[in-house]
Amino acid sequence: MTVRAIQLRRAGQARRAVQPRRRRQPGRPAKPKAGEQLAGWAFVTPAVALIMLFGVVPVVWSAVMSFQRNNLFSPNTPFVGLSNYRQMLHDPVIGQAITHTIIYTALFVPGTMLVGLFLAVAMNRKLRFISVYRTAAYATMAISTISEALVFIWLFDPSYGIVNYLFNLVGIPQQQFLNSTSEALYVIVIMTIWGWTGFAVVVYLAALQGIPQVLTEAAAIDGAGRWATFRRITLPLLSPASLFLVVWLTINALQLFDEVYLSTQGGPLNSSTVLVYYLYEQAFGGANFNFGYASAIAYFLFVIIIVVTAIQFRVGRRLVHYRS
Amino acid sequence: MAAPITAATTAAPVTPAALPRRRRVRLPFSPWHLVLIPATIVLIFPFAWLLITSVETPAEALHFPPILAPHHLDFGNYPQALQAAPFGRFFINSAVVAVTTVVANVVMCSMAGYAFARFRFFGRGLLFALIMTTLMVPFQVTMIPQYLITKWLGINALAEVGLNHIGALIVPNAATAFGIFFLRQFFRTLPIEYEEAARVDGARRLTVFWRIVLPLAGPALSTLAAITFLDSWNSFLWPLIAVNQTNQMTLPLGLATFQSAHSTEWTLLMAGNVMSLIPIMIVFFAAQRYFVRSAAATGLTGI
Amino acid sequence: MRGHWLSAAAASALLACGLAACGSGTPNSTAGGLQIWEGYTGAEAKAFTHLLAVWNKAHPGEKVSYLYVNNDNSLPKLLTAVKGGSQPDIAYVYGSWAPNVAQIPQVVNLTKVVQQPGVNWSDFWVGERDVATVNGKVIGIPALVDNLAVVYNKTLFAAAGLSPPSPGWTWSQFVADAKKLTIPAKKQFGTAYVTPGTEDTVWHWEALLWEAGGQILNASNTKAAFDSPAGLESLNSLRTMAVTDKSMYLDPTDSEYANVFNSGKIGMLVTGPWDLSGFPNVKYGVQIMPSFPGNSGGHQTISGPDNWVIFNNGSKRVAAAEKFLIWMTSTPQATYFSLHTGDLPIRQSVENSPGFLQKMDQALPGVDTFVTNLGNVKQARPQLPTYPKVSTILGQMIVSVLLGKTQPQAALASAAQQVNQALASGSSS
Repeated sequence: MTVRAIQLRRAGQARRAVQPRRRRQPGRPAKPKAGEQLAGWAFVTPAVALIMLFGVVPVVWSAVMSFQRNNLFSPNTPFVGLSNYRQMLHDPVIGQAITHTIIYTALFVPGTMLVGLFLAVAMNRKLRFISVYRTAAYATMAISTISEALVFIWLFDPSYGIVNYLFNLVGIPQQQFLNSTSEALYVIVIMTIWGWTGFAVVVYLAALQGIPQVLTEAAAIDGAGRWATFRRITLPLLSPASLFLVVWLTINALQLFDEVYLSTQGGPLNSSTVLVYYLYEQAFGGANFNFGYASAIAYFLFVIIIVVTAIQFRVGRRLVHYRS
Repeated sequence: MAAPITAATTAAPVTPAALPRRRRVRLPFSPWHLVLIPATIVLIFPFAWLLITSVETPAEALHFPPILAPHHLDFGNYPQALQAAPFGRFFINSAVVAVTTVVANVVMCSMAGYAFARFRFFGRGLLFALIMTTLMVPFQVTMIPQYLITKWLGINALAEVGLNHIGALIVPNAATAFGIFFLRQFFRTLPIEYEEAARVDGARRLTVFWRIVLPLAGPALSTLAAITFLDSWNSFLWPLIAVNQTNQMTLPLGLATFQSAHSTEWTLLMAGNVMSLIPIMIVFFAAQRYFVRSAAATGLTGI
Repeated sequence: MRGHWLSAAAASALLACGLAACGSGTPNSTAGGLQIWEGYTGAEAKAFTHLLAVWNKAHPGEKVSYLYVNNDNSLPKLLTAVKGGSQPDIAYVYGSWAPNVAQIPQVVNLTKVVQQPGVNWSDFWVGERDVATVNGKVIGIPALVDNLAVVYNKTLFAAAGLSPPSPGWTWSQFVADAKKLTIPAKKQFGTAYVTPGTEDTVWHWEALLWEAGGQILNASNTKAAFDSPAGLESLNSLRTMAVTDKSMYLDPTDSEYANVFNSGKIGMLVTGPWDLSGFPNVKYGVQIMPSFPGNSGGHQTISGPDNWVIFNNGSKRVAAAEKFLIWMTSTPQATYFSLHTGDLPIRQSVENSPGFLQKMDQALPGVDTFVTNLGNVKQARPQLPTYPKVSTILGQMIVSVLLGKTQPQAALASAAQQVNQALASGSSS
């Protein structure tokens, strides 16, 4: 039987289980009816109301703060127009923060997705101990960031860490890692890929579980090799999950903070300073408590994130296969 | 793919002559284990370190590089950690907040996600974009306005949900853009035929949602539940800002009491961390089994 | 089956809301109960709660309750609370934030209060009083005082054939000792330095700058003064160890160095009394910092006092808070706290009380040197709202020299230029 034949038969069976047999009307009505409008609004209102109040209003409020001179201590917060934004143009560290954020994101997002996909595919089968492997993957999401940071600080310590020890065994010269201006950021990339792998595995596994085995079996029967099946059937069917991951991981990568705060504090010499860490330093980190400036940096980042996300959705519309 | 398969299918699978004959190396176990075992070791290595530190004496914990094979085990760190602060209370607070947040999120985000995925209504695109923006401004900047709003709400609107009250920890996170985004993507992957058929048969949209769509959403809902539980359980910055009573503190705040400006009680902190991980692992283990069961039961097809 | 779990979920949500609504504790920060935010753990927490219990028993109408807030996180929390009108009555505030905290309108001006009889303001160390005072206004009561001295590993010294540091020692001796104590094959270092680029990096160097006879800023706090021979001498000493001799373990995490010392891998540390309890596995000794001979700097050290700050939540509560703090920081309580925690005494009278030093040393060996070293605290860092900016610039300068990226002379000149700019552009922005 062909793939299509199997699908139709299964669909027929399922439909019979749900409803008495009826003729299906093609497509959906062209114009949304009043009922659909009402239903749409009714369904979204509870969640949207909460998010508007606790999410959107603070976002707008922060925009207002970016036009003020605000040092959080005195109640005096005069409007200063675009002066905070102009300050960004003269700030020598901002350029570095932007570059580091971009490099970090460009490495972290594909890295995490690849590792997560590979592990999810490996775990999407009946093996002994499979629950143990899966739980181990999820576990990386559960560990507190401070424990994660401490372990990696140790692993990459120039004098006492395991990585340099292994390098030594293999003949690679000792590296300075977190003490090196050229390597600190990459150590953080590795640390965070480790931390987010579990999330990528969870998402991909849920998506893989939703792919009916009958499709891959039929492809195998038709003579397709494993790799071809993967490339032509599995990957496209995973594309909604991939889009979700790309968007979500990018949004998070562009806002990297915790790991930098707990390990390098932006150093050495600002070589691992990223935008959110820099703005935190401006606001609370004893670099003059300049909350207005921090808000301006946050808004600059916000614009970047919106543009990048919009591009991702646009590209996604062309590349992503939804079943309907 | 559309060509009918010939009688050859009644026999063993045919390997066309073009494919090289592969020599099969027979292992007593699946070769995937060779990949998964090293991967698992890398993934859980920090947990091993956490566990080991939690049963070390302080003298051996204060070592760098860390001692992985301690000479003296001290299980007393666990009862000591529990007594250092009212952890029973913190645990209950964390549990109440996490469970309520998860339930609220699953209910509200599934409805909203479904509407964004399926219904066409005025302002849909704009509303979705607005919601997504809440993910794009770092919390360090929005926390002050969020605090002020929560406080205002507590004083002026709902006396139950003020600050100094764990409602303040639940309500701002009872629905998140992440949940809506995640479920919208998922609902769009479901074949629309069932819903259309049900609508044609006169079912109300709510019934379609409740009886047809939700049951198919098992894996996604349990994934969302597990992730939301995790986020809520480990959440630190907002509870730090919002909680002003020791008996309202959640577990992460409680664990922070082991760290002062200049010294950290590592053994107690790690013991506390291990105890804090146990509910999360239970939730994950349970959620993970639910994925598999419900995905297998649906027999979902249709392209 | 699925119907079941949804309704079960709804039921548990209702239940949870119900629980949340009634069980979770009554608000108690109404009339009478004061709230104090502090970040004490371990021994400090025990001693503090004991003293609170004593006070609460004797003053049932002015009970004080505490909320643990980690000191590093306390600033965002405090500032948010102030904006929302839910500030505590008393909070533990880092001394380095004092010039900025002084701008908060709710902070109570204690200038008259500390002059009252019975408070004995001059009994507090000069370093503490300087940090609690901003532009002539007293905004806090000292909560903690400390200083920097040298903690050294006696075993490693003996193994290297070195005699332990003497009180009159010099920085060239320190550098030479560090070199001899460095054994690369054993991954052993002579000394360590923290390199996150934060104030912790900076204040270690500022102590050397003062010992070399230099100043951070000029007398009117308008220009940099560290770009001097004293600055060069102090920075060169650090550079020799970090770059030339490679005898310095550079710690960007600001915490691992203590564990490395406790593992017997570092010969000497310049650090404070708070680290002593973290060295159970090492036979350590404590000595005052070495000097740069040939100038008036002597064996000066630097101190980082912290303050209790009172917030105005009504005159009755302010009065009660003042009364509590004066009691808390008076000689008997300060003595109790020091003896039970190893923290240095915040009052000179405590140090001078008979038997105090011996008892301190018994509880925490070596801490008596830190106590007497308080007499070597001669000045404080500039009390300016712009000091945090100056600190960032100096931090980058020091790290850059320690990593071998710049030469001290050029680094000093560049930093001085940036500091002058920062000072000129005024307080906030």
